Parts: sequence; C-alpha cells; structure tokens
Amino acid sequence: MSAVTDSRKKVLEAIHAATGAAAAGSATRNAAATAGTAAGAHADIPRGYVRRGDMTVSARHERFIERLREYDAEVVECEPEGLAAAIATQLAASGRHRFVAPPGIPAEWYVDAAWKIEGFECTFDHGLETREIEQAEGVITGCFCGVADSGTIVLHHGPAEGRRVITLLPDWHLCVVRLSQVVETLPEYFDRCQVSGVRGQGEETLPKLVTWISGPSATADIEMTRIKGVHGPRFLHVILVNDEEAGT
Amino acid sequence: MSAASEHPILDPALAPPFPVGALPMLRNVQLRKNVAHAMDVIQAKRARLVAEKTDWQALRTAAAAIKDETLAHLGEYLEQFEERCTAAGGHVHWAADAAEARRIILELLRKEKADEVIKIKTMTAAEIQLNPFLEAAGVRAYETDLAEIILQLGKGEPSHIVVPALHVNRSQVREIFARTMGIKDLPDDPKALTAAARNYLRQKFLEVPTAISGANFLVAETGGVTVVESEGNGRMCLTLPKTMITLAGIEKVVPRFADLEVMLQLLARSATGERMNPYTSLWTGVTKGDGPQNFHVVLLDNGRSSILGRKTERQTLRCIRCAACMNTCPVYRQTGGHAYGSVYPGPIGAILTPQLYELRHAQSLPFASSLCGACYEVCPVKINIPEILIDLRARVTDQERHTLGKFFDPMYVGLRAANVIFSRAWLFHAAQWMGRLGAKLVTRRDGWIHALPSVGAKWTQTRDLRGLPKQTFHAWWAERGTASQQVGGSASQRVGDAASDPTLSPKSGEKGGTTSREAR
Repeated sequence: MSAVTDSRKKVLEAIHAATGAAAAGSATRNAAATAGTAAGAHADIPRGYVRRGDMTVSARHERFIERLREYDAEVVECEPEGLAAAIATQLAASGRHRFVAPPGIPAEWYVDAAWKIEGFECTFDHGLETREIEQAEGVITGCFCGVADSGTIVLHHGPAEGRRVITLLPDWHLCVVRLSQVVETLPEYFDRCQVSGVRGQGEETLPKLVTWISGPSATADIEMTRIKGVHGPRFLHVILVNDEEAGT
Repeated sequence: MSAASEHPILDPALAPPFPVGALPMLRNVQLRKNVAHAMDVIQAKRARLVAEKTDWQALRTAAAAIKDETLAHLGEYLEQFEERCTAAGGHVHWAADAAEARRIILELLRKEKADEVIKIKTMTAAEIQLNPFLEAAGVRAYETDLAEIILQLGKGEPSHIVVPALHVNRSQVREIFARTMGIKDLPDDPKALTAAARNYLRQKFLEVPTAISGANFLVAETGGVTVVESEGNGRMCLTLPKTMITLAGIEKVVPRFADLEVMLQLLARSATGERMNPYTSLWTGVTKGDGPQNFHVVLLDNGRSSILGRKTERQTLRCIRCAACMNTCPVYRQTGGHAYGSVYPGPIGAILTPQLYELRHAQSLPFASSLCGACYEVCPVKINIPEILIDLRARVTDQERHTLGKFFDPMYVGLRAANVIFSRAWLFHAAQWMGRLGAKLVTRRDGWIHALPSVGAKWTQTRDLRGLPKQTFHAWWAERGTASQQVGGSASQRVGDAASDPTLSPKSGEKGGTTSREAR
C-alpha cells in the first residue's frame, strides 16, 4: 500500500509548495493545530449578507407557503388540535392506501385518528426492506426545519423524519411542519444546527445526515421544460401546524 | 442527425483548436437554435431570482472569501476533512492524476466484485474519462441523470456542465429513447420522455449495489460530503447501494458546515435559476442502517495544485461549477459547448482546461473570448475570468516564442518588424509613406477598404477598414505650428476625424461572424 501513501504525500507536498505553507509549518504537521491557525483567517471572512430575517411571524409564514407553492407543493394549514384530522383529510384525498412512516412520529398524529382505521395501512419503518418501502404509495414525516426564503424543508433524519430511503421511494410525501420550525433565511437554519448557539463551538452537534427538499423532484433537461417527478416523490404535500402566536 | 457525422472530441489532448472545432457547430442551425433557447430560459430565470436577493453582492463577496481562505490553507483543510471523514467511517484516497484516480476506483470496484455501477452526474469523472476506462475493464457504468442518459444512450458528448444535453431537442431525445429502450409508440413530449427514463432506471437503482458520485462540497469541519441535484437520482445512488465511491477535486472543500449557508444560496440561483434545487444531500462517513455502509472518497489533484501556485490563476479554483458564465457568454451562445474540446466548456472551461493540462493542450481556448466580462459579472464566487484569460494568452504566446515555428507566424514576424520600425523615426516615416502608398491601391472610392491582400484578408473578411485620412497627424501637427492662428477651429475638427477609430465600420456591428457586404 506504499503507492497510496506516496500519492497522499505527493499531493499534499504539491499543495503546500503552492500555498507556501511548507516553509511556515515545517516543524510540526498536526492537522488539528494547523486547522486552528486557519480558523483565525476564517473568522475574518466578510459576512455582510443577511443573516437574520426581519419579517413578522405571519409574513414569514406567508412567504414560506408562497415559495412552497411555486415549487408545485400542496400546502394546507391547521391548528395543533386539528392535526390528526388534517392528516386524515390529506390521506383520503390522495387516493392512496399504503403508507410508511418513521417510528418516531408523535403519537397524537395518529392515536385515535380516523386515518388509522378507515382502510389505510400505515407501516412504521423498523428497518423495512427496500422492496417493502418501494411498495408503499406514500410517506408521512415531520421535519427539522423549514426555510421560508427558499421554500426548503430540511430533514436531519431524526426519529420523526426517518431514514433517507423512506422519503425517497414512495411517490407521495406528506410532511408536517410546525410554524415554530420555520425560519426566514438559510443562515438562521444553520444557527439552529448549533445547539450551543455559538458557531464553531458546537461541532459535535452538527448533523451527520441532511436532506433539503425544495419541492417535488424535477428535471428541465429536455428543452428546459420543467417536469415534475423523476425519481424522487412526484407529490409533496405540506401541513403547516400553527403553533406560534402571530404578529411577534 | 447531421451532427453525428462530426462526433465532438472532448479530450483536450486530441481535440482540434477552438476555431476549427467551432466551425461544424456554427454551421449546425438546429444545434444553435437548441443552445440559444436553453440559454434564454436559464438566463431569464437567473436574472429574476438574483434581482430578488438584496444581499447578492455580499453573498458573492463572502463566497469568494470562503474559497480564498480554503485555498490559502488547502492542505490543512484537506487533512482535516480526511481525519473527520475517516473518523465517521469513510475511507479517503488521494490521486495525483487522472490515471491514478481511475486505478483507485477500479480497484475498489474489483474488491466489490462489481460489474455494474450506477452514477450520479459528475463532471470530474468525465474529466478523468472514467466511463470508457471502466467499460474497457469490464464494468458497465449506468448514468442516472436524465441528461446523462440521453448522452450515454445516444452516444453523445456533454456540451454544458449543468444541463449537458441542452443541445439535443425533444424529437432527438425521442428518437434515442425509442431506439435504445425499444419503445415503439413514444411521443416526443418531455413528460413522457422523462417517464421513460424513470422506468428504464428504476430496477437499476434497486439492484445495483455500487454507486459513483461527484461532490459539490466537502466540509472539513465535519468530514461531510454534499451533492446538489434535481431529479432524485442522486438520492437514489446515495441511499440504496451498499458501496458509494465519491470522486472530488481537491478544491471542493469548504472549512465549516455553516459556510454552506453562503454557497448554497448562490449555487442554485446561478446554475438553474431556482431559489433552491429540489434536493441537497449531505452525508458524513457511514450511518448504521441508513445508506451505503461502505464509503470511499477519492481526492483528485490532476493539475489543480499547479493552478494553486499561481497568484492570478488561483481564483480559478474557487469555481463551484454553476455554469452561469457559459449561460451568459456570447461566444458559448454561438458555438455551444463541443467547440471547446473539453468537458469544461464556456469561459470557465477556457481558463480551467488549459491550466489542468499545464498549457500542454487547449492553448487556443484562452483566445476563445471577446473579453466582454459578462462571465465575471455573473460569477457567484467572483472569478475574474477576463483577467485570467489575458494572463493565459500571454503564457501561451511566451510558450510559442520558444519555438522555431515563430518565424513562420505573420503575427510574430510583423510585430518584430514593428518593434524595429517604431524605435527609429526615419524608418517609421518611411514605412508610413510606403503604407499610405499601398493603402491608396486598396481604398475604394467610398473611402473604405473592403479587402486587404494576403494575411490582411483575415482582418477584412469580417470587417471593413476606413481608408487613411488625407494627412498624417505628424504632417498636420507640423502645419499647425505655422498656421494655428488662422485655422484653429477647423483643425480641431480634423483631429477628431483622424483620431476616430479606424476599425469601426458598419460591418463590425454584425453578429455571428457572417459577412454581408450589403449590410451597409
């Protein structure tokens, strides 16, 4: 395997020669230490872009809905106590019967809800085979965050968001987003990724798996004509749960 | 399809120089129509979405600074990425050149006993000509991006880095799909064609256990890899197989996870004119129970470190492959991508390709530009492409200066002669006198030169030259000294005449290089 280490050395030497770091850091080659020095320069990067939105809660929610709809996503709103009913309505309207869901979705989404009994079949993903997920006609999940500015839904694949494959194979995705999860700008989402609230000091909390969904899968490869639904879900439905006081 | 007879060559070592490569494209009316349509659509969408971003310029500035910081400490960030990715269960490999990257990937595939592999669109794999190599080694690569399927089944070549099949229209796609997938009654409506591609690939996604991808970003802080896509084919490849091999140029790294907040606001808007592309995936090493359990990253140098060492050219490596530069380029719009003889066409290709080959190939590309600067204006990471083009032109010219062939180059001989003549006043006057005499022979009665003989014809082929004024500036100046009192007013009028640009003529206003003598 010496050829392997040789290439590593060769590439890194070429890089260090080019960046002039070879001379500066010849004493110790400690990745952590050198990355530490680099961090100083990183802090000096000019960040004059919008890092925090200034919209009211209701304006932010309007924006999120508007942007989702521009991607051809279906959006409905409901109050927290009406969520199970809203899910049932969506499922019924979908004309589909076999669904999957991550095992961690909150019980109040389905306990005593009509859709658990009325001829719908919902399998929880406790390590389902790919073939079984492929059989499902739809999937129901929560999310980590919503970004109003770009109409993006972020999954970190936690207990209520599920493994990546379950939001990929079924053709119909119903995603429950609480309004308190919606931020205005993308940088605010990155702030929420840091549990400590201080950037650069919470790396252990950064997500390992992330999927951003901005509308149903699409392509414009043939004559730039946008076609909805290629390999990912063709239909994206969003239920927005109003768990925030408007106007703040 | 007439283009089939002129199969484009995208290996810079074998491709013809740009002016030769561009000719068949310029003659292909259908291709130019397809390209112009695609460019119009993307540009209009991009312009609308960039305009709504009030902080667009601040985002560009931040993005350029993030990439500059990465490049300044590239070795450290790559080592950090390697350490974190390895800690998360990934394997990191280093490839100094294309041949080594191909060998590493093939060895990994052999270890998996793979004779089939599914691929997410990656220009880096195209750069190292991975598919033909794998095929020769008995591994069949299935492209999964719709545009790449069109090209693979139709045996075409990419002409754009984001929408590689934009030069193919719907009826051509219909023909390719009907023939290769054996579908009899396939309509040419994009919806039906897309559905055909979905069905064609569905089983492959579920069955083939090995996948190859590129990377949009590598995150040093976490060891994570990001892929940006639209169709979901990427997510299929990232999620369903057992083994994933990611090929990434060494410049793809960003220092921190949160740096993506800048990059990903710029990328989709610049590339496809969307606020966000439908799917962005990030994964870190391997995750138990979710996705491939065997993950490899191949870090590719292949000429990049040599670019890193040059002050002006280093910014080339900021590129995030959004293709906004080619979408806006007046040259690309006319020629399409194949003329560039590289998988990287357009303005970024004109600077990247020759540099990846250390100017051994593709020397004509830095000249394939009008230096209008539109590419710089739209570049989300502020690469000053015109500046680099000029620098590369100088380097190419310097290179040629060291060969004997220079004595057969009219430009070289002419400029050397000018060098001698301009440094001696009497020679200059003599040459001027002779030149005026010669110019009289070719100047028509309307005061314009329509055709120059010999090498001068290259100039007048596409533009007219204004005839020389009756009097030289020198003569006028001398005369003015004696007679300034009387003719001051009219003299300044004549200076204006003499100083007006002699190359500006009605012909130069035309587009596309076609010559129409009647245009005036």
